[in-house]
Amino acid sequence: MSTATAELRTTVTKRRAHPLSHREAPFGFAMIGLSVLFVAVFTAIPIVASLALSFFSWDVISAPEFVGLKNYQRLFADGPVLKSFGVTLGMSLAIVVLQLTIGLGLAVLVNQRKLVWVRTLFRTAFYLPLLASTAAVSIFMGYLFDYKFGVVNYYLGLIGISNVPWLTSGFGAATTIVLITVWQQAGFTFVLFVAALMSVPTDVLESAQIDGAGGWRTLFRIKIPLISPTILFAAVVALINAMQLFDQPFIMTKGGPGSSTTTVTISMYQKGFQNLQFGYGSAIAIVLLAAILVITGLQFLAARKLVFYQ
Amino acid sequence: MTGIHPPGSSIARRTLLKAGVGGLGLAALADLAACGNGGGSSSKTLKMLYFGEQASATELQNRLQPQITKLDSSIKFEISAINGTDWNDFLAKVLTQIAAGTPPDIISVATEGLQLMASKELAIPLDDYVTKDLDALKGYFADIHPALVESMMYQGHLWELPDSFNAGNMFYSTSLFQRAGVAPPSEDWTLEDFESAATKIAKFKGINAFGWVVRLWGSWTSFMYANNANLLEEGKYDGGDWLWSKAYAGDPAAAGRKGGWKWGAPTANSEGTVEALNYMIELTKKGLSPSPDVGGGGTLQGLFASNRIGMSIGGGFWAGGLTNAGMKNGSFDVTMFPKWKSQRHLFGAGGYAIFKSSKKKDLAWEVLKLLVKPESFDLVFPGNVTTPGRKSLVTAERYAKTGPKNWSVFYDTLTKHPETAPIPAPPYYNALATALNQRTTEAISSGNAKAALDGLQADLEKAAGAG
Repeated sequence: MSTATAELRTTVTKRRAHPLSHREAPFGFAMIGLSVLFVAVFTAIPIVASLALSFFSWDVISAPEFVGLKNYQRLFADGPVLKSFGVTLGMSLAIVVLQLTIGLGLAVLVNQRKLVWVRTLFRTAFYLPLLASTAAVSIFMGYLFDYKFGVVNYYLGLIGISNVPWLTSGFGAATTIVLITVWQQAGFTFVLFVAALMSVPTDVLESAQIDGAGGWRTLFRIKIPLISPTILFAAVVALINAMQLFDQPFIMTKGGPGSSTTTVTISMYQKGFQNLQFGYGSAIAIVLLAAILVITGLQFLAARKLVFYQ
Repeated sequence: MTGIHPPGSSIARRTLLKAGVGGLGLAALADLAACGNGGGSSSKTLKMLYFGEQASATELQNRLQPQITKLDSSIKFEISAINGTDWNDFLAKVLTQIAAGTPPDIISVATEGLQLMASKELAIPLDDYVTKDLDALKGYFADIHPALVESMMYQGHLWELPDSFNAGNMFYSTSLFQRAGVAPPSEDWTLEDFESAATKIAKFKGINAFGWVVRLWGSWTSFMYANNANLLEEGKYDGGDWLWSKAYAGDPAAAGRKGGWKWGAPTANSEGTVEALNYMIELTKKGLSPSPDVGGGGTLQGLFASNRIGMSIGGGFWAGGLTNAGMKNGSFDVTMFPKWKSQRHLFGAGGYAIFKSSKKKDLAWEVLKLLVKPESFDLVFPGNVTTPGRKSLVTAERYAKTGPKNWSVFYDTLTKHPETAPIPAPPYYNALATALNQRTTEAISSGNAKAALDGLQADLEKAAGAG
């Protein structure tokens, strides 16, 4: 045993024996306990219970009946529910791409402003929509984009554009919901990107400048690779949120017209809470969770090649 | 929804686990349900569920408490309000409460939820109570149209005492009619008259001649009824003679009444149904009607009250609704729904039931009788927010402040059009309402009623099969 190792052991032993550690231990365990309890009650137990429920047929009123994998078999043969997965995936991809692009674009623009108050002003302005209640925003936007009485169509009419069926055509409703969601959520990715861009080492940027790299080259070859871990994080969080899209389509279109904006979470709500098929609703929730896990796993796999860690 | 975390893959994974289960409220529900199947409220509380705002519920509770104290001085009456955009929403929340192990003693349920509640035996049949107290209830039954009572029956039993209803009549803006030079419609007007009036009103910029919302009650379904069609095969359950022969003996309006409406096989893509929905699509194409919203109806009332809509389907509840939205008495009126193949209207009724799990059923029954007394109506429904089920309460005095001038139309719908029937609300009403909403918006968006209703037919066949 080397002298250094022996000294280290002595230090560790001394630290363990420190009387203050004993006094702090109960407090530490209490804090950990609270976190564990919180995660157990609000995350772990619901997941397990939902998984268990997905093997039952239960209408709330009668006793649950074990049906094995029937709910899953039914799900994979249920056209409208499968369609809702497709709708969700399509809308999610659009939301993530737009949210990242707009968030990054705005962050780059704001980051170029040298005055702190200008940066603060823009940061606040772009982040504000995120603080508004999604339900309130959805109701408000429903009025703005109303086909006949909406303000948007009113102003378009003033420049000679006839009324646009924002929420009354399948493609229009999906597009409008995507745009509203991006408008509200882009502030989150924007703030992340602003912080990441500010942490890019100035010596690297100065070196690039000395070597003659222009603004675009610096952005694509220096800044974006350096903030790629943040981009990955933002993409993962944005996709998880988008895959659970519920408030906007539920309030603005109730999933319509037809089923063009019926997302998986709306299908889950309809089957579970409206049609009293709680087992089937749980099965949909579990499949959604699995889908999110798989897609996120793919994101991390792709990140191995695309993300640059310093 | 979104929280800020420092970038890093480990945090992202944690976030993934948290966020990925955000929509799994169902599981928590299962836990809660497992905790309590006891049912009923505590021994000192009589609990009632009410569709509306908590402020109104509390006011009603405070007003009724002294009368309930007379029945049992130890009982605290508690009304919990449940908010919702429509009855579909209300029922989903009621069932969630039941799952949470807190069922009420009394529940106010409309036609939409009656058969669901009865088929699942959430409530108890009132037959024995009614038979026992028939003498005391004679005045009630003499005052309430048998069509409303029959709509509260299922499989021969009476499940609720009705106190209110709304038939799908046609409200119109008197000022827009006047401006367009259209005479006020008569009660026997036809679909041609309706379209002619709509065409004249639609000429004004920013005005919609006819507005409607997507739902089961008073939507394109009113046109379907007037076209002698329906979403489901119509029939009636046997039974009910125990009530008709005693409470309505000699009343011609009770002739042919049986044990409640029996909704059979789906007929959503029948010729008459497709024709009715096609008519709505044509109205939209002609610019006589905008694309409708789903559910609720609050926006529609607001637009009507601001004189942006010439006509809309409404029941007695529109009198209070339009007044509350700022419309002055005289600026709107009501008439019968126009005649197509017939002038058959649809209606929905509201009433009270006793929950099976209640431990105070006898007291709950006494409260039910109290709630359907004439003097209770305005406590429960202040300001003409529904039509009284008791004919004696539908008076000129009632509508003197709010209007409409032709208020008698409300009850005349039942008496002058005996073919008028309740909305088709089978035990699988929730699935029906969801499918109806989706397929209607699909039809309006695509312009293809037949394809959408073929889809609805398939949806309903599946829902009916699932029970």
